[in-house]
Amino acid sequence: MMRSLFRWLRNPDPLLVQNEERFKQLDFRLPLPDYDYVVCDTELTGLHKRKDEIISIGAVRISGLQIELCNTFHTLVRPVKLDANQATFVHRITPEQLRGAPCMEEVLPRFVEYCSGALLVGHCISLDLHFLNLAIRKNLGGILTNPCVDTMTMARLYKELAGKKGVRFASNPGSLVLDDLTTEFKLPRFKPHDALEDALQTAYLFLFLAKKLKSLGVRTLEDIRQLGRKKSEERLF
Amino acid sequence: MANNGQAPSAPDVIVDFLGNIMPFKELDLQLLKDVARHVRVDFFPKGTWLFTMGETEVRFLYLIQQGGVKSFLADDEGNITLKDYRGEGEYIGALGIIRGTVANMNVETVEDTFCFLLPRDIFLDLITSQPGFAQYYLKSFSEKVVSTAYTELRKHRIERRSDEDLYLFSIKVADIIGRTLRKISVGSSVQDAAKMMMRFSVGSLLLYEENEDNIVGIITDKDLRNKVVATGMDMATSVRGIMTSPVTAISSQTVCFDALIKMMSHGIHHLAVEENGKILGVITSHDVMLLQGNSPYLLFKEISTQHSFPALYSLAQKIPGVVRNLINEGAKAGNIAQMVALLNDRVLAQLLQAVEQELGRPPVPYCWLLLGCEGRKELTFKTGQENALVYADPEDECQQQAASVYFKELSERTSNHLANCGYPVAKEQVMASDSQWCQPLRVWKGNYAAWLKGETVAGVIFCGKFFDIRCGYGHEPLLEEIRTKIVKDARKYQGYLASVVDDCITRRAPLAVYRDVLVGEDGKQESLFDIKEQGLAPYISFARILALHYGVRETNTLARLTILAKEERLDSELAGKVQEACEIQMHIQLIHQLHQFEVGTLPDSFIILGKLSELEKKMLRDGFELVGELNDVLKSLAVGTLER
Repeated sequence: MMRSLFRWLRNPDPLLVQNEERFKQLDFRLPLPDYDYVVCDTELTGLHKRKDEIISIGAVRISGLQIELCNTFHTLVRPVKLDANQATFVHRITPEQLRGAPCMEEVLPRFVEYCSGALLVGHCISLDLHFLNLAIRKNLGGILTNPCVDTMTMARLYKELAGKKGVRFASNPGSLVLDDLTTEFKLPRFKPHDALEDALQTAYLFLFLAKKLKSLGVRTLEDIRQLGRKKSEERLF
Repeated sequence: MANNGQAPSAPDVIVDFLGNIMPFKELDLQLLKDVARHVRVDFFPKGTWLFTMGETEVRFLYLIQQGGVKSFLADDEGNITLKDYRGEGEYIGALGIIRGTVANMNVETVEDTFCFLLPRDIFLDLITSQPGFAQYYLKSFSEKVVSTAYTELRKHRIERRSDEDLYLFSIKVADIIGRTLRKISVGSSVQDAAKMMMRFSVGSLLLYEENEDNIVGIITDKDLRNKVVATGMDMATSVRGIMTSPVTAISSQTVCFDALIKMMSHGIHHLAVEENGKILGVITSHDVMLLQGNSPYLLFKEISTQHSFPALYSLAQKIPGVVRNLINEGAKAGNIAQMVALLNDRVLAQLLQAVEQELGRPPVPYCWLLLGCEGRKELTFKTGQENALVYADPEDECQQQAASVYFKELSERTSNHLANCGYPVAKEQVMASDSQWCQPLRVWKGNYAAWLKGETVAGVIFCGKFFDIRCGYGHEPLLEEIRTKIVKDARKYQGYLASVVDDCITRRAPLAVYRDVLVGEDGKQESLFDIKEQGLAPYISFARILALHYGVRETNTLARLTILAKEERLDSELAGKVQEACEIQMHIQLIHQLHQFEVGTLPDSFIILGKLSELEKKMLRDGFELVGELNDVLKSLAVGTLER
């Protein structure tokens, strides 16, 4: 008990401090290709904000608005509670596979390093970030302070702006679910419910939206922040 | 899955993608994975200019994952010439990288397009280290790719029935000479020859005169049996009296398939193998047979011995089965058509002989003519019958009467038998059983003269298939007379030329294969491709028109082109390209029809483009590009600027 309390109170890991330093001076008015991004996705044991845990992290890096296929991050994570539950049927990761996986404590430093200097991108990124930061706070005594971009916000913004220009979308009007957007924008399709494949799927969506938004006059992070600000539930930066 | 500290492997998506496209699929998996690790993904919305001609430095090989691009040239006045469409699985930028130049064409995306980008240096490494790479990108029709295409066709489109690895097309005759060559002087006695054959247990001896290298003939054990023993000839007679002379020889570098064709068409079982004018040895039909399980040769032999109609019907049904075996052995469509023609001709000959048996001797000599694709020896699967009959000019009215009655009966019966053999009767097709196409020689000569003048014959205007004729059975000199007449009159009259060239040019091939559709010059798109009409017809008509114009007697399209090139009537490089385009399309058609045959539908020539591989589509596209060039040749022919 004392030990875990100590963890909560200890100074953040130097990795996190370094990471934070990098964003202190970040200028949000640069064009989108000028930033590096990490698109990430996590698989969870469930959606309970305090009980559930991350069991897989997948991420790809983007620089110059191109996906670097040589620089991906993919790992399983051994959770504290190791029993099959309903989510097993979704992501098809078995308890056996998880038993052999590294634990969060081993995974996190590598992941924090992987994200260093990059903006975090995800589809509904706040959810992934919640679970990631929960674990990071526990293991490294801090949180990821990387600015975030949510592809869900970008998609809503793109649909709004394109709609005003008369672009009509065929299927699933209004849906912002990753799978529906993939169909609607006719993106190449990846295997769902695998952290790396989902991250790739999101990265494709991000490239698509970034370039499409550019043609609609949305060029910088600041533009997205201004125009995309609508509801409070979606985390933007 | 978990990457415990090691460098992560490239995601499956790119490895799978590269593993399915040429020429990357030829790389071994480890190298492919290494290459894949350097790939980046980029997205270009519809309407993005990727390259500007003469300006853009090409830093990546762009591999299209999804979407499509067009490449085009723009001149000073802003006129745009569309060069090409490229779609999924295809590349852009290779030429610029290899040559180290800036982009040589404008490239713009015509759809939202995702590309895999392979950095220039990595690509150049592959070009220098992988022999197939430079070749693939530089030579659109290099032989290597063509043969890779055939292999691919065979591998992917045909299931092999067993683990048969047969060698008719890869083994040279030099490699199957089994026994040491045995020779004997042509002056030796029959008995000495027989002793020598027994001693060395061989079935044949070569005969020399004066010195051992001067081979003058061959005797086989069959000669001893049939010419000596059976006739009670004196054993002391010299072998000169029973030998076959001269010896039919074949070059040592010929593949066994051609040896087989030669034996079948000459009706012999032994061939001398020669190299630099020297005989190396003898091969027999048996040696060739050993290479092959289910052989066309055995079928040929079986047909040759059958005279009863029902037996011939069922043997004829076995012919398509031969096609499958030949494809498996590596035959090209041209080879197969040659073999099928031999077999079909054999069936026809047996049928006609049997019909003659029923009707009695014909009053005058005749020749059964084959027209159209059978006349060109380009038929593989049986389509409708196309035939006609010519008979020698009768001496008087009485003989004329007899001839027209006899040949009417003969052709009707034969036509029915052919239908029973599986060659369907179609209404609109030319058939010998139609009295209009069963005529004495002088009528035929008149017909051809009229056609070549540009006139109609009984409502029929110049029609290509009548000029692709050959003798299926009968008295060949009749056909040769017709041919001579055609050559002479084509020289004399030019009436046919303008309209035939015109017809050919209006049948212009589609501009491009783009993803899974054909895009015509007018922008019209189709997903079904009639390979016979849209693909092959322009090449066939082209070869026919030139052959007519320059008096080439050959009817086979590939052979016509060879002769035209040899006689310097046609640029030999162009001729070669047309032949390659022709062969690959014939092959695609052949495999399509084989598949239809095997699932029990009637063979047709409609290809669904979506089912073709990326390489096959590339070959089609390269072939289409030729058609414009061919039309130009024809146009200048029609306006008479070409020298005769």
